[in-house]
Amino acid sequence: MPDIISNLRSLNVLVLHPRDSDADDLIQQLNRIGCNVEALWLLPENLPPMVDIVFVEVKESIPPALAKLFSHRPDQRPTLIGLIGYENPSVLGCILELGVQAVISKPLRAFGVLSSMMMARHAWQERIEAAQNEEKLRQKLEHVHIITEAKFILMRHHGINEKDAYRVIRSHAMSRRSSTIEIANAIINADGLLSKLVVEKKDGRE
Amino acid sequence: MCAIDSRSPWKLGVLFSDTGPTAIIERSQKCGVLLAIHEINAAGGVAGRMVEPVLCDPGSVPSEYGRMAEKLIVEDHVRVLIGCYKSSARKEVLPVVERRNALFFYPTLYEGFEYSPNVIYGGACPNQNSVPLASYLLENYGNRFYFVGSDYIYPRESNRVMRNILRQGGGEVLGEVYLPFDGGPEMFGPVLADIAEKKPDVIFSTVVGEMTVAFYRAYHAAGHDALKVPIASLTTNEAEIGRIGAEAAAGNITAAPYFRSIGGEANRRFLENYERQFGKEIMATSCAEAAYFQTRMFAAALSKVGRLDTDLLRECLLGSTWDAPQGQVKIDPDNNHTYLHSRIARVDSHGEFIVQREVVRAVKPDPYLVTPDLNDRRLRLRKTAKS
Repeated sequence: MPDIISNLRSLNVLVLHPRDSDADDLIQQLNRIGCNVEALWLLPENLPPMVDIVFVEVKESIPPALAKLFSHRPDQRPTLIGLIGYENPSVLGCILELGVQAVISKPLRAFGVLSSMMMARHAWQERIEAAQNEEKLRQKLEHVHIITEAKFILMRHHGINEKDAYRVIRSHAMSRRSSTIEIANAIINADGLLSKLVVEKKDGRE
Repeated sequence: MCAIDSRSPWKLGVLFSDTGPTAIIERSQKCGVLLAIHEINAAGGVAGRMVEPVLCDPGSVPSEYGRMAEKLIVEDHVRVLIGCYKSSARKEVLPVVERRNALFFYPTLYEGFEYSPNVIYGGACPNQNSVPLASYLLENYGNRFYFVGSDYIYPRESNRVMRNILRQGGGEVLGEVYLPFDGGPEMFGPVLADIAEKKPDVIFSTVVGEMTVAFYRAYHAAGHDALKVPIASLTTNEAEIGRIGAEAAAGNITAAPYFRSIGGEANRRFLENYERQFGKEIMATSCAEAAYFQTRMFAAALSKVGRLDTDLLRECLLGSTWDAPQGQVKIDPDNNHTYLHSRIARVDSHGEFIVQREVVRAVKPDPYLVTPDLNDRRLRLRKTAKS
């Protein structure tokens, strides 16, 4: 991920931490690294726009005002790095609950901030890529279902095998310049409509 | 030790090696410190008390620097130290001075990406020298480079930076080789053969220490002409050129904040005093100059603060300036590194560095810059009178 390293200076970083020497040291180190840094000593109503990384103090409970700053959707939340002064199970629980990608311990040392940012950014990017892949796979699975259903309809009506059914869908898609999924959906809709129209006749015959 | 004042002297721990692979350069750094102390004491010391160097020889072994720093602080009650050449040695000293809250001066160029509140960095980081060197070489020699380095952290990171800068200027890296510190002279053979075959325009060398002398000599002995295809370096200095000899050294290029051949009143005084103290044998180098001006800046801060207190000294040092032999320098309060000058010099037929180009004013240190910009206007070079 060399891009993460070379793009560090273009990141917008927000520090959510009470004003103290740890916060000062962190902000100075972020300035040395060369990021655009903004610090808020009190929790804001909303996150400022275009924030890439948020350093946030994590204590033994998460105030509701803090929790509501971050969306549950991975692509709509910034990279989070927790700053902790304690390592007890309450604090550890809050780290997990808030879903931070890296942790920095206090008292803060300048050494390590850069690596934490890197790893957090890396984990965040991987999470987003994973979410995007999940979405792609979900859609693909749905498409497979739809095409299978359309194929069965054609097989039933025309007495053809699965391979030929698919060929019919594909050639229709090509001649109409649309996708196989659109044709498949059209077949399913038409079949639903038709089967409703002929239901009584069929019933009568059987 | 001194009759002028009955009170005890101010101690300064000095961590430079007299033996081992980096002894040539570290000895000259030690001389820079001792010269500064000599001048300070000759002028009456600091607040009437002499400055006393506490010397030790880590023998170029990284772990020894850490062990001796600990000993200086715990047994000798030293609060301020100066020393180290290689990054691996500095990394050993760093946790010691942080734990004990001592103040540590590091008068050596290095690869950047570090900050400690307990360290004042006096050497160049890559943004200060690499860009001027690359633009000079691209303009005057060509764009086909060959990298040769000693096998440790500084060469690898320097080469990463150089490769990035060269890419911006359409340069090309034909080879990249790292040589072990414990290798014999025969290890140069395959490298020089590869260079002869690939015919680069420039060799960019990050070979350091004793190996430098052997490498430059081997390059010359293999029939390479440095006047046409020079070895360019950020570290090779007067002391090493002296050992290499004028014939093998002529034509090669170094970028550094200081060369002893530059003009200026501060440099004239520095060289006069240096030669009076140490003779012509141990040559003044850019690292010696850094050790010298850092020691002088420490003493100036101490005279203001009046005690060996790390936090007070740091407060006083950050943002302070000094008329160093290289010109005015300033400690950057943002990152504890130093604004330095940047010069490109070529060795002439007498084995003396002649400055060809220099930046107009001291360059701000940017230790966390991942990729320096080849076209950075602040790093524009101007020709010098002698070039």
